[in-house]
Amino acid sequence: MSRTLAPIIVIPAFNEESSIVTVISAIRERYNYPVLVVNDMSQDQTAKVAEDSGARVLNLRSQLGAWGATQAGVIYALKQGFKSVLTLDADGQHEPEYIRDLLERLEDGYDIVIGAYIERCSTARHIARYYFKLLTGLQIEDMTSGFRAYNYKAMQVIASKQATLLDYQDIGVLLMCRRSGLTIEEVQTPMNLRLSGHSRVFYSWWVVLRYMVETTILCLSQIGSKRKFQFRSTL
Amino acid sequence: MIITYQWITAALGILIAGIILFLVRRDHLHGPYAAWWLLVAIITIVLGIWPQLIDKLGYSFGVGYPPVLLLVLAQGMMLIKILTMDIERSRQERKLRRLAQHMAILESLIEEQNKAKQNSGNEV
Repeated sequence: MSRTLAPIIVIPAFNEESSIVTVISAIRERYNYPVLVVNDMSQDQTAKVAEDSGARVLNLRSQLGAWGATQAGVIYALKQGFKSVLTLDADGQHEPEYIRDLLERLEDGYDIVIGAYIERCSTARHIARYYFKLLTGLQIEDMTSGFRAYNYKAMQVIASKQATLLDYQDIGVLLMCRRSGLTIEEVQTPMNLRLSGHSRVFYSWWVVLRYMVETTILCLSQIGSKRKFQFRSTL
Repeated sequence: MIITYQWITAALGILIAGIILFLVRRDHLHGPYAAWWLLVAIITIVLGIWPQLIDKLGYSFGVGYPPVLLLVLAQGMMLIKILTMDIERSRQERKLRRLAQHMAILESLIEEQNKAKQNSGNEV
């Protein structure tokens, strides 16, 4: 399966030495796909343990956040000739067992497949989710999931330089993909408790507020826009 | 000689122009930015020497108290300048991020090549 997709698994990581080995091992037990860990300037041994576990490692010299790190992985994949990318979190939330499900849907012809998990969460999060659904018109339940598969067409869009100024991988990226005419599909996947760390978005009220304001502005600025995006190897 | 308001503003303009040329000379200020600040210095010198220009301009625009016109124009120019600064900062941020990404990729490729070389060396 997935020979035509020739996927690479990209894991952005920041201080995840306690969980990254488990994640990489779980992937390598099941699949032969290459694993790329993008080390976002971790202060611990993330890069070393990842490399020892058999992953390729990209070491960023300036901290770019989860999305910047993921994009670096996608650019790497394009340059190395991979035809699809699967991203998942380094904290062990996403069960590698379902990578197959995502890739299968990609083979069915969708450009982006999201491994969605609608957890039982606080009312505030429900409101935020509903608010962004309303604002964007995207019929996607789990916009924040980092468990995604992108085909070659989608990779080119998300590796474009216009996508570089996004700070989060969720709504901005999806809006950009929708505008480029890409098809997005969701697959329900159960989720594990995080082995380590916490969400980089939802951990303080100030960060949440900033996220809400910035994402709202982003959504409003995208209304009616028809710009297309294409990856170029220039900066 | 009585130092008038005219002399002070003219001297201020000349001082600003001097500082800007000095900063360009010492490589502290990049060309396009220097052009903007030199323009500011020239306007300060001109309005310093001929302050009545602003009165004439104000009356022709129907402004009752012309110095207000100067303040409004100055504020407008500052807003434009700050906005263009943020646009420029965003452009630089994007470039910096992409440079960091490309550098990480290049580094990993170099390391891979070095490892491959070492391995082939060991085999020989």
